[in-house]
Amino acid sequence: MTQPAPASPVFWRFNAEVFRLIGIRCRKCGHISYPRTKICHECGSLDLQEYQLSRTGTIHTFCINWAPPPNFEPPIIPVAVDLDGGGRYLGIMTEASTPEEVKVGAKVEMVLRKMITDRGLNVYGYKFRLVEDQQ
Amino acid sequence: MRGKVAVIGVGMIRFGELFEQSLENMIQEAYLSCLNNIDKGLDPKEIKAAWFGQWSGGFIGQGAQSGQSLATYVGLLGIPVTRLENACPTGGDTFRHACLGVASGAYDIVLALGAEKMRDKPSAESLGGAGGGGGSETGNHPAWMMGQGGPAIQAMHATRQMYELGYTMEDFARVAVKNHHNGTFCPYAHYRFEVTIEQVLNSYTVCWPLHLLDCCPQTDGAAAAIVCRADLAKNFTDKPVYVLGSNIGTDHSQLWDRKSFVEQLSTVRAAKGAFEMAGIQPKDVDFAELHDCFTNTELMNIEDVGFARKGEAARMLKDGEFDMHGRLPVNPSGGLKAHGHPIAATGLGQVYEVVTQLREEADKRQVKLKNGIGVQHNVGGPAFGVSAFTILSRSP
Amino acid sequence: MAGIIGYGVYIPRYRLEQKEAAIPWGSWSPGEKAVCGADEDVVTMAAEAADNAIQHASMDPTKIDAIYIGTASSPYIEQYIAPILAESLGLAPEATMIDYSGSLNAVAMALLGCLDAIAAKRIKTGIVIGAENRATAPGADGDASFGAGAMAMVIGTAGTIADIEGVHTYSTLFLDRWRATKDSWVSNWNDYRFDREHGYQKHIVEACNGLFQKVGKKATDYDCVVFAQPDDRLPNLPAKSLGIPRDKLAPAIASTLGDLGSCSAFLSLAGVLDNAKPGQTILMASYGSGGSNAFSFATHERIQRKKKRLVPIEQYIARKQYMTYTSYLRVREHVTRAPY
Repeated sequence: MTQPAPASPVFWRFNAEVFRLIGIRCRKCGHISYPRTKICHECGSLDLQEYQLSRTGTIHTFCINWAPPPNFEPPIIPVAVDLDGGGRYLGIMTEASTPEEVKVGAKVEMVLRKMITDRGLNVYGYKFRLVEDQQ
Repeated sequence: MRGKVAVIGVGMIRFGELFEQSLENMIQEAYLSCLNNIDKGLDPKEIKAAWFGQWSGGFIGQGAQSGQSLATYVGLLGIPVTRLENACPTGGDTFRHACLGVASGAYDIVLALGAEKMRDKPSAESLGGAGGGGGSETGNHPAWMMGQGGPAIQAMHATRQMYELGYTMEDFARVAVKNHHNGTFCPYAHYRFEVTIEQVLNSYTVCWPLHLLDCCPQTDGAAAAIVCRADLAKNFTDKPVYVLGSNIGTDHSQLWDRKSFVEQLSTVRAAKGAFEMAGIQPKDVDFAELHDCFTNTELMNIEDVGFARKGEAARMLKDGEFDMHGRLPVNPSGGLKAHGHPIAATGLGQVYEVVTQLREEADKRQVKLKNGIGVQHNVGGPAFGVSAFTILSRSP
Repeated sequence: MAGIIGYGVYIPRYRLEQKEAAIPWGSWSPGEKAVCGADEDVVTMAAEAADNAIQHASMDPTKIDAIYIGTASSPYIEQYIAPILAESLGLAPEATMIDYSGSLNAVAMALLGCLDAIAAKRIKTGIVIGAENRATAPGADGDASFGAGAMAMVIGTAGTIADIEGVHTYSTLFLDRWRATKDSWVSNWNDYRFDREHGYQKHIVEACNGLFQKVGKKATDYDCVVFAQPDDRLPNLPAKSLGIPRDKLAPAIASTLGDLGSCSAFLSLAGVLDNAKPGQTILMASYGSGGSNAFSFATHERIQRKKKRLVPIEQYIARKQYMTYTSYLRVREHVTRAPY
């Protein structure tokens, strides 16, 4: 699969979602999701409002991928995070690499990181970092 | 669908790393094997439509595929052929469409064939290609699901199965032991060697908590089935196998929209709908070919389909219930784990196995039949949001 | 009078002992330095520093009228990075977005630009961010000593914790450190004595003297003095010329975090502000590419009240994980994998 170039409209369309974490919340069933959409993926309702996703949460599940695609140096740790206030975010960890550190239930926060570089352009987005003080 | 459709022949080639064989070769051999399987014979000109399952298309380099490819290769120019792709359930869904073609009354005899050439690229490359976890564009964004293919997504399920259900890596490894053992009895299986739990746990960690031997291989293969009107079946074979129901279930295509990581609603819905179509229940089933792309997935599938309550499958496996001669054999062919996973051919390979078992022609791997009912199941796609489930029976 | 409403810093967690990068090439460098991880750069560091500054300032980021970024290590020669930060902060398209680059005096110039815009009443509030992750090559200038970090300040007239009483610049054509477009590393004339006396020392002294005249102060009036720190001891030189006693100088950071380039004086300033009390005066001078900007700061009451929203630089300094030299070579792309 050819990766679309960072300058492609594919990335530009999602600036608000990627940088400012604007998603949607369904007024009918409460489902929170991103990118913004016009029909609720969960229940099909059209009654949706913009929703600001939180930048902090706890890890719902993860794995430690030693065979990631090109551009990523292994290991990469994909995490599904239950965001504070609702919604789930699929991202990857930074500054952590072992199952001793990354655990279901660990508190994490989003930090801006350089994802990939293609044709000299960087793609930035949020990764998750373990919160220092886990109380 | 019940009462309208029967399988009169099935065919396949050995699944494996078939470097000498092209896509065309594999398709032709599977097709011919299927024709030969029809004991009273069939004039190919009677086949009036075909569905061609082909997942990777231009991605792995075998060139874009459309219906015309199949028509050309099997010498059936002129009939309507549709190429079908529905992620890992491509094979099962190809079979379903063939059944719909007959059940609708539009055609009397049709062909379903699936073929996949994965090994023309190094396995690391085709592995990465098998799915992002987000539909379309979201699957390409590095901030979200980019690069999270099958192994990463199923590994995330495994982590949660360990956390929520108390499953262990040993439980997962046990699935590989069972399926590899079964594979040694199947002449078409990709892998025909035994493994032990220790070997699985000591194999390279691909995607913690899954090891190399927890993962199905990258496989080349092709499989086919010829389906006809139930009331005409006996003209072609003394042992028709009847389709009681064939269904597709869908769930979210963005992994973050899903609620649970220990259950796949696509499978739950596909199975439930198929059982309703057939008018039977999970307990009526004698054996099953379930989509064990990864060892932990088999445990999840067993529960999602309704053969066990959530959290029970590991214990039941340990007790031997799913062994070839157990209460409910799962994957007597060796499953995707040992038999292989040439994506578009997999579902049809499972149909081959179910039909062969129901005809009691499975030789050294024959399971005991009670009601004469078997099922095939696939699940896949970004976020594993699509599943195929078919119920076959030796009586109409 | 305009001043700092809130500020923040970011230092990466990774550290390299400076000698690890010096010894293989036959040289020596003391202490250790902060190094970006493989997924960090000036943009990502600037983002966290800006978040900390906005939190400290209790500011609604959408109310910021301008973003001024200073760096000598932008990933791009043509393409501003300010819009990336503006996107993540949610600034309106009408906000001024501008990069100041190409000099170790860039952040100081960015601050000057922001102050000019406020004085001209073109904007009310701006955010000034400095971030540095300078290009190096094995054995080249700074490979052992260049450090990484970022500092951000929300600048305005309302709710300040420290006012900027005056600024004076002094610039000449002086070549000591440079990087041509075609080079992927920084070069250095390598005449330490010539460069420090006629470059670093001379320009800082002149900038400060000019500032003193403007604000009516003497060198010894200041409670604390912050000079750019390419190494721990260089600040002693202009201090001596100006008659500033050593105990007034900001603490050394070059042997802890490295030579932080255009951010150097500003990260030191952050450390000083972390511990400052109301009613203190701070002299700060930057230096780079033959230019020095001297600023005079005066703290007041609010600096104490806002302390609980502050993430101090000490917190970032304490958070560390050492890198081996081989990891450093890979992260800085001095060694890359064969393409096939």
